[in-house]
Amino acid sequence: MKWETVIGLEIHVQLACESKIFSSSSTKYGMPQNTQASLVDLGYPGVLPVLNHQAVVMAIKFGLAVDAEIAEKSIFARKNYFYPDLPKGYQISQYELPIVFNGSIEIPINDKSMKTIRITRAHLEEDAGKSIHDKFDNASAIDLNRAGTPLLEIVSEPDLSSSEEASSYMQKIHQLVRYLKISDGNMQEGSFRCDANISLRPLGSNVLGTRAEIKNINSFKFVEKAIEFEVERQKAILDEGESVTQETRLYDSEKNETRSMRSKEEATDYRYFPDPDLLPILVEKDLIKEIKKELPELFDQKVDRYIKQYSIRKVDAVEIAKNIDIAEFFEALIHHFKENYQQAANWLLSELMGYLNKENISITDLTITADASAELLQKIHENVVSTSMAKIILKQLIETNDSVDEIIEAQGLKQISDRGQIEAIVKEVIELFPDQRDQYLSGKEQVLGFLIGQVMKKTSGKANPKMVNQILLEKLKENRRR
Amino acid sequence: MERFTLKKLIHMISQREISSAELVSIYFQRIKKYDHFLNSFITLNQESAEEQSLIADKKIQAGNYDLLTGIPYASKDIFCTKGIKTTCASKMLENFVPPYDSTVINQIKNSGAILVGKTNMDEFAMGSSNETSYFGPVYNPWDLERSPGGSSGGSAAAVASGIIPIALGTDTGGSIRQPAAFTGITGLKPTYGRCSRYGMIAFASSLDQAGLLALTAEDIAIFLEAMSGFDPLDSTSVEEPVPQYSDSLHNSIAGKTIGLPKEFFNNSLDTESQRILNQGIEIYEKLGAKITEISLPNVGYSVPTYYVVASAECSSNLARYDGIRYGYRDDNTKDLDDLYRTNRQIGFGDEVKRRIMTGTYVLSAGYYDAYYLKAQKVRQLISNDFEEAFKEVDLIIGPTTQSPAFNIGEKIDDPVSMYMNDIYTISSNLAGLPALSHPVGFFDKLPIGMQLIAPHFHEYQLLNFCHLFQQETDFHLQQPQAFLDD
Amino acid sequence: MTVKKSDINHICDLSKLRIDENEISTFTKQISDILNMINELEEADTNEIKPMAHPMNMSQRLRKDEVISNNDRDLFQENAIDSEDGFYKVPKVID
Repeated sequence: MKWETVIGLEIHVQLACESKIFSSSSTKYGMPQNTQASLVDLGYPGVLPVLNHQAVVMAIKFGLAVDAEIAEKSIFARKNYFYPDLPKGYQISQYELPIVFNGSIEIPINDKSMKTIRITRAHLEEDAGKSIHDKFDNASAIDLNRAGTPLLEIVSEPDLSSSEEASSYMQKIHQLVRYLKISDGNMQEGSFRCDANISLRPLGSNVLGTRAEIKNINSFKFVEKAIEFEVERQKAILDEGESVTQETRLYDSEKNETRSMRSKEEATDYRYFPDPDLLPILVEKDLIKEIKKELPELFDQKVDRYIKQYSIRKVDAVEIAKNIDIAEFFEALIHHFKENYQQAANWLLSELMGYLNKENISITDLTITADASAELLQKIHENVVSTSMAKIILKQLIETNDSVDEIIEAQGLKQISDRGQIEAIVKEVIELFPDQRDQYLSGKEQVLGFLIGQVMKKTSGKANPKMVNQILLEKLKENRRR
Repeated sequence: MERFTLKKLIHMISQREISSAELVSIYFQRIKKYDHFLNSFITLNQESAEEQSLIADKKIQAGNYDLLTGIPYASKDIFCTKGIKTTCASKMLENFVPPYDSTVINQIKNSGAILVGKTNMDEFAMGSSNETSYFGPVYNPWDLERSPGGSSGGSAAAVASGIIPIALGTDTGGSIRQPAAFTGITGLKPTYGRCSRYGMIAFASSLDQAGLLALTAEDIAIFLEAMSGFDPLDSTSVEEPVPQYSDSLHNSIAGKTIGLPKEFFNNSLDTESQRILNQGIEIYEKLGAKITEISLPNVGYSVPTYYVVASAECSSNLARYDGIRYGYRDDNTKDLDDLYRTNRQIGFGDEVKRRIMTGTYVLSAGYYDAYYLKAQKVRQLISNDFEEAFKEVDLIIGPTTQSPAFNIGEKIDDPVSMYMNDIYTISSNLAGLPALSHPVGFFDKLPIGMQLIAPHFHEYQLLNFCHLFQQETDFHLQQPQAFLDD
Repeated sequence: MTVKKSDINHICDLSKLRIDENEISTFTKQISDILNMINELEEADTNEIKPMAHPMNMSQRLRKDEVISNNDRDLFQENAIDSEDGFYKVPKVID
């Protein structure tokens, strides 16, 4: 039988609020256990939640960016279940009437075409704390710093039909929330994670099969691998004529397999009901208008603008715009360096990105500023330093606090562009290698490279290569005339 | 002993007839002497109260003081008090010391009044007789065999006996008004959202409201000003200015219309109570009010509606009591499930368990629509009934209870008959309306209460009506005989 | 409507309660009585009526996104019977 894969994703995005969704404690990551858990986060008797304004604004931003409807009235509900890292015994979430619904987003598939993925809803909720099972011998340790962290849960329709599409969608949403600055999208810290609902059905069928839900996937690679594994697992079951069990599964990245989470298998009945401590959120049209006005330029617009305004090659524009941090760096760079935008793009993509990839760090980890980079670019542009020297300077720039000029000065890396100086060296080289000179003059032009090499060697690579080339040709010409 | 009104104490302090330290000391003496008959206090705050009274006296001597400076009061043990045990009369919170003050307690502190102690109550405010308290029942000062009502039974008994001038209570379905009626005092449940719920341990969040038990409407008016108002920490608190309730106490009520809901004056009310209520209504007529019969067609559904809504909310509100961060913790549990179940089995009493179970049931898959959603719709119907009625009348009057105080032990084994106690009081909680109970007469030496219900934020009107009534009558001044000595 | 013992057990599972064997029949009867009383609601005509979640017709107020916090961990943990090294402790959870 031929099977068709049906996937829907629930992506949990941690919103970039300073304080928690219902309390005033900090959302900062990595603080000592339970130092950021206020009475509200701890679910103390008598305390009450008050909603964070920014969380609402961020949810609306997202909704507008995916052409969704923003609910005029949305409500919070309690999802009731017991777990030690859920202090109140319920999670405040949205069930009926989420703040955002009926959106969609286009994702690239097969490199060329686009596919529209419908977004059922996006709702606000609070995160739970953390249970740590390897801290004590006979006990689990509970850290409630994360409890109450604002989340936006983005639920797609089951419109995804392969692991690649799922990953592409996840990346697209990741890019979007980073563009909107509503999340840092940090996947290691759990700020961006997803649950995947996967089912198979006979090709061409309209009926959904029984699904399994894979919980807490925190990388684009893992989402693909987990889905691939799960599809194969379900295929094997269905091919045998058996049926898939509806259950929650966990992806183990070390073993590359999904497995049933038996502990959560107990029939759960969350007993959702409207939270009586919180009132309906009413979103006024004016607020939506205001937020709409402040929406930043998004990926597609950025790429178009780079091509039109800066005449940059499309492939480079896409590469730069992929990551908002790089795009912002680029824009700051060309704010200071206006000589040649394509040259700036080239330098950013090859030199700077090369460095980042080699060191495995992100652009936001860099201490180097865009105007220092622009200065360096300017030196390259003006032939003060060569491209190869620029590489060394960049490394120095990143690793020290020195300015471009200081580095060039200290290291003597300045390009030799003095005509007289280069002429003298060229003359010297021609005299030193008469055989090669004659070979060239008799038509063996490839010998030129050897002669250039000798000049560069004599100047420790600092001679302006363009000038060396030009002067060498001139001098050889003079030799021929003689 | 002489029962002092708050008004009288304020006068005595301002005339320097007594100091705050003396006052605080008198009340502690009274508590020591009488409370073992009543069991109305769970925790006393003696040392701190005495210290505060000395500070208050300095302020008074310096002439730098407010109306309530140095005046003793008690709080139901449901309001979190920083550094003072707050038990909710439950084994679950037997040793719980809140690291913070509830907003209401904080506001009162700022007004200068001094907290003398925390009063007994039904466990987590679930009960109408004060018998569900882990610390034992409270006894009615009018007849120690009888219940003072609940859940604010400790506050009611303490005020009625005179061992405290005024006390905080909470009212979810009648928990201030029913005990006030049973003990012959005045009790006010303000509009939902009038007083902050922050720090008031939740039973049913959409119904709970803080209020007061005192001897007179005048006393309540003075104290209510101190504890009302908007609180940014409570999303359900209302941004509505707090009027000077004392200023409108003497307004004439001539020409005002009082509605008597026919559904409140039916067979479920005993005939003696009916007769006494009628006499009370005549007094209002004498004061110039017009009386008219009205109908609240859906008010008969109040009790079932309430038991769905309140139980559902409580089942979720009480899920936090797992013994992990605070509360009763058994030190011998074998796994996580055992930890939850053991702590909750031992920490909660039977009534709390019944309510959690009922609430869990009505919210569970397959029953939500039939119970919870249905109850929410009926709640709307009841609320609409009041809205309609208040288009015709200024105030609604009815009984507070079906009969005077019942005996301890009489109803405790029959939850449904216990729940029927709240038949007249529950509807105003469902609609969020302010309501007051004041003494209207006696039957068999037991006090009977009359209930006044007003539109949202018309507390001033309730207090105005009640005050004029109390100027005409002396039911509120009558004291339980057994506490009259010395 | 009658509630069965199995219903009581299910409710106890959901609400993490435990009722001793010798008390189950009492609770079963009491919960049945309560539900029977509640069943009166069936008679109310609620056609076209919207559910009322809240007594006041108000909307949610929003708090400024501002951090106001002190590290009161030690004070808060004074109420915890079992905590160590700043963590709350529970019996080992095996996932």
